[in-house]
Amino acid sequence: MKRSGNALALIVASAALLAGVSLVGAAEKSAEEIMKEAHLNLYYAATDGRAQVDMELTDKRGKTRKRSFIMLRLDVEDGGAQKYFTYFTAPGDVRRTSFMVWKNPDADDSRWIYIPALDLVRRISAKDKGSSFVGSDFTYEDVSGRHWTDDNHKLLRNETVEGRDFYVIESVPKQKDSFAKKITWVSVDRILPEREEYYDKKGELVRVFKAEKIEEIDGIQTVTVRSMENKKKKSSTTVSFSKVEYDVGVGDDLFTERYLKAPPKKYIAE
Amino acid sequence: MKHTLVGISINHPKLVVLVSVLITLFFGWQMPKIHIDTDPENMLLENEEVRLFHHGVMEAFGIHDWIVLGVVRDEGLFNPVSLARIAEITRRGSEIDGVIDYDILAPTEVDDIFTTDEGILRVETLMEEPPETQEGADRVLRQILANPILRGKLASDDGTTSAIFFPIENKEIAHRVSLELGRIVDEVGGDETYHLAGIPVAESTFGAEMFKQMAISAPMAFLLIFLLMLFFFRKALVVLGPMIVAMMSVIWSMGLLIGLGFTVHIMSSMIPIFLIPIAVLNSIHVLSEFHDRYHQTRDMRRTVVDTMDELFVPMAFTSITTVVGFASLMFTPIPPVQVFGAFVAFGIFVAWLLSILFVPAYVMLIPKKTFETFGGAEDGGSMMNATMRFIRTTSLRHRVPIVAGGVLVLALSVWGLTRIVVSDNPVNWFKADHPLRIADREMNKHLAGTYIAYLVLSVPEEGGLKDPAVMKYAEALQEHLLEHPNVGATTGVTDVIKKMGEELKGDPAQGVIPDSRDEIAQYLFLYEISGGDPADLFKFITPEADRMNIWVQMKEGENRAVSSVVESARKYMEENPPPAGVTAGWAGLPYINVVWQEKMVKGMSKALIGSFVVVLLMMIGLFRSVRLGLISMIPLTVTIAMVYGAIGFGGKPYDMPIAILSSLTLGLSIDFAIHFLQRTREIYRETGDFPLAMERLFQTPARAITRNILVIAVGFVPMFFANLVPYITVGAFFFAIMVISGFTTLFTFPAILSLMNPAFLAGGKGARQ
Repeated sequence: MKRSGNALALIVASAALLAGVSLVGAAEKSAEEIMKEAHLNLYYAATDGRAQVDMELTDKRGKTRKRSFIMLRLDVEDGGAQKYFTYFTAPGDVRRTSFMVWKNPDADDSRWIYIPALDLVRRISAKDKGSSFVGSDFTYEDVSGRHWTDDNHKLLRNETVEGRDFYVIESVPKQKDSFAKKITWVSVDRILPEREEYYDKKGELVRVFKAEKIEEIDGIQTVTVRSMENKKKKSSTTVSFSKVEYDVGVGDDLFTERYLKAPPKKYIAE
Repeated sequence: MKHTLVGISINHPKLVVLVSVLITLFFGWQMPKIHIDTDPENMLLENEEVRLFHHGVMEAFGIHDWIVLGVVRDEGLFNPVSLARIAEITRRGSEIDGVIDYDILAPTEVDDIFTTDEGILRVETLMEEPPETQEGADRVLRQILANPILRGKLASDDGTTSAIFFPIENKEIAHRVSLELGRIVDEVGGDETYHLAGIPVAESTFGAEMFKQMAISAPMAFLLIFLLMLFFFRKALVVLGPMIVAMMSVIWSMGLLIGLGFTVHIMSSMIPIFLIPIAVLNSIHVLSEFHDRYHQTRDMRRTVVDTMDELFVPMAFTSITTVVGFASLMFTPIPPVQVFGAFVAFGIFVAWLLSILFVPAYVMLIPKKTFETFGGAEDGGSMMNATMRFIRTTSLRHRVPIVAGGVLVLALSVWGLTRIVVSDNPVNWFKADHPLRIADREMNKHLAGTYIAYLVLSVPEEGGLKDPAVMKYAEALQEHLLEHPNVGATTGVTDVIKKMGEELKGDPAQGVIPDSRDEIAQYLFLYEISGGDPADLFKFITPEADRMNIWVQMKEGENRAVSSVVESARKYMEENPPPAGVTAGWAGLPYINVVWQEKMVKGMSKALIGSFVVVLLMMIGLFRSVRLGLISMIPLTVTIAMVYGAIGFGGKPYDMPIAILSSLTLGLSIDFAIHFLQRTREIYRETGDFPLAMERLFQTPARAITRNILVIAVGFVPMFFANLVPYITVGAFFFAIMVISGFTTLFTFPAILSLMNPAFLAGGKGARQ
C-alpha cells in the first residue's frame, strides 16, 4: 500500500515542481530544488565510488564497537537506481561477510548477503528503508539517500553558522514514515546537507546527523566523517571514509551473486 | 518526676494544652511535603548488591519495567477485528507520556524473521498493518508460534490470548499509565477481555489504593473507638481527650517523619493505624481509673493526682515495652521497616507523654458540671460486673484445667509455628476478586507467564559467549528450567541463533546451536545487520558478547515459587558445571522480592527474639522478681504462638505485613500483664489477702482491661472489609492480639497465681518507692 502510492506521489510532485519552476523562475532556488541538488551531491557524486569505511558504534553505556568494510557504489542513473557492495573486513569473526543492495527509488530495494561460515548467499528483505543499516544508528536511507520527492519541503530561513550560510529546510514525509519531520541545514557554498534533525510525531528530536568533516577529493566535495546520534536511545554512530576514489570503473558485473561470494581482489584490497 | 509532670498539668492546664496544640500545628505544617514511595525494591538498601546487579542488568540489556496489557477472547483472538483493536491500542498507548515507544512488544512493533515462499529471508514487523482477512490473521498467529522469541508472549498456543508489553520510564508512573491504558481500552476495546498485569502495576496501584484505604480505615477506626469509649464513659467531652491524644501522636510522628525528609512507604503509611489504638490504650486506663474514683471524692484535683499516682508506673512500663517492640525493628536490615519502627516508637512515646501531661490538663479544663453525672457503678452496667465475677471465679475454681488447657494450646500453637511458610507477592496484596488478581490468573493461564526474571550468564572476556560450548550449555540450562512447573518459557540468545540457523538453511531440523564459533558470530551479526532493530538482539546478549540474558517467564510470582526456580538453576549448575569462567546471576523484580523477603524474615525473627529478651529483663526489673517477670511473659508468649501458629495451620503465607506485626504483638500483649500484676501486687501488699486482692482487681483494673480489649478489637473490625489484604491482616491482628492477650491475662493469671504461694507477691521491693 505504501509503495503503490509512491508513483502517484511522484507525478504530483513533478507537476508541482514544474509549476514551481515556471512561477519562480531562475531568481531563487525553491526548497525542493535545493534538496534535490544536495541529494545528488551527497549520494550521486561521479558515476561510481570506492571507500574504506570505519564505523564506530557507541551505545548508551558509552561502550564502543568498531566494524570496517569496503564499500563500492555504482550509479545506474543520476537520482535513480544505484548498486552498493559492502565487504566486511572486521571484526575478525565476520570477515568476508558481504552485502549487496540494488537500490530502487520507486520500489523495495533488493538485498543479498553472503555468509562465509555457511558459504551461502541468501536474498534478504527488510521491512523498510527506515531500518537500521548494518546495526548502526544510520538507516539504509541515510546511507543511500532519501528521494527528495518523498517529502514536501519548505525553506524556513537562511542562517549563518560560523561565518557560513545555510538554507534551513523543513521536510515533511508525504506518507506516514519512520519520522514526522526533518530539518536540514544545506550549505549555500557546497550545497551539501551538513546537519539534519529528525523529529517524531510527538515533536521530539530523535536523531541528529552531522557532516563532521568535508574534504575535496578528485574535485568533489566529499563528506568523509559523518555522525548520527540517536537522542532517544542515547546511542551514536560515527563513520569515517578513507581511501575514497571516484570513477574507478566498477563494472556492473561486480553486483552479482557470484562476486558476492568471491569479490575480485582489486576491489577489496585494504 | 511523676509529681513534677502531673503538677505542671494540674497547675498550668491552659499552658500545657496551648503548647501541645502549637507543637501539633508545627508538625501538621510538615504534612504537605509528603513524598510517597510504593516501590518494594526500596525494602533493600540503595547499594545492596542484588539491586546494583539488577540495575546493571537492566541497563546493559536495555530492559525497562513492563506494564502488560493482556487481551483475551475465548472464541479466538486472532481475527481481523480484534487485531485491528490491538493495533490501535498499541498506537495510542505508545503516545502515553512515559511509555518508551520504541521498545514496546506488540504485534505491530516487534520484528519477525522468516523465509518467504520465494525463499527470501525477510525481516519485517510482525504485523505492519492489521490483516484484512481471516487468513491474514491466522498467518500472524502462525508466525508468532513459529518464533521462539515471540511465542508465549504475544500469543498463547490456543490463539485466545495476546499481550502488549509497554515499557515504562520508571515504576512510579505505572499506575498513571495503567489508568490511561484503561481509558484507551474503554474507547477502543470490543468483545475481548482486557487485563492489566505486571509487578510495577501492582505496586504502583497498591500505592494509590493504599492512600484511599488510609483515608477510610484510619478515620473509621478512630470513629468507632470514639463511639465505644462514649458507650463506656458516656461523656463526649471527656472521651474526646484520649482521641485528641491519639490524633496528636499521629500528627507528631508523621509530621516528624515527613519533615525529616523520609518517604512515606507502604510500611510508614500504616503508622496512624498502629498509633491510634496504642495511644488510646493508656488514656482508657486513665479514664477508667478516673471514672471509678471520681464519684468517691467528687474532688477533681484529688482524683487526678490519685489516678496518676496509681497508673504512672504501669503506664510507663507498658509504653516502654511497646517502644522496645517497635524500636527493635530498627535492627532489621530493611530501611522502610527501620523508619516504621523508629517513628511508631516515637509516636508511642508522644502518646505516653501526652497521656500524663495533656490528659490531666484537659480534664482540669472540662467544666465541672460535666462531671456531675460522671462515674459511679452504673457504667457498663451489671453485665460488666457479672462478667468480671464470672472470669475471676472460673479462673480460681478451675485453675488446674485452665493452666493445663493453656499449656496444650501453647503446644499446638508451637506445632503450627513450624508449619509457617514465608512468601509474598505484591499482586497478592489485593483481594482475590481485584482486577489485578483476576488479570494475574487469566494471563498466566494462557501465556507463558507475566513474572519475568533474568538469568544472566557472564564470561570474563569479550566475545567469550560465541564459544559453541558456552552456547550449548546455556541451551541445556534453558531446557532444564523449562521443565520446572513454574516456568512457562525461557528466551535467550540461543533461541535467536537457532531461529537464524533454521531460516538460513530453510530446515527446522537445522535449528540447532552451530559447532563453529564463526558460524555463531555470523548468525548474530546477520541478525544485527539484517534490518531489524538491533536492540532486540541486545536484550539477550551484550554487543560485546560477554554477558547473555535468559528471560525466564514464570506463572507465579510468590517468592516460594520464584526461589524454587532459582534453586533449580543453582542445583543444575552445581551438578553440571558450566564451561570454565562462566558465572551466573539473577535479576528482575520477582527475584528482588525474593531477596528482600528472605532478609526481612531473618531480620524480623532476630528483632523479635531480641526484644523478647529485653522485655523479659525489663519485667524482671520492674517486679524485682524473676518469677513475676516470667509470669508476665505468658500472655505475650501465648498470643504470639497462637497468632503465628494459626497462620501456620491456616496456610496463609508469612508476608511483609505479618512479619511487621510481630513487634506489635510483642508490644501490646505485655500491657495487660503489666497492669494486672503490678496492681495485684499493690493491692496484695495493702491487704495481704489474695482472694480479696483478686476481688478488687476484678473491679476497676480488670474493667479497664476489658474496655481496652473491646474498644481496640471492635474498633478494627471494619478493617476486615478493606480492599487491600495487608489492611485486613492488620485489622485481624489487632483483634486477635487484644482478645487473646487480654483474656489470657484475665483467665490464667488468677489460676497461676493461686497455684503458687501468693506470699511471693509481697516480695521484692517492687517499683513502688
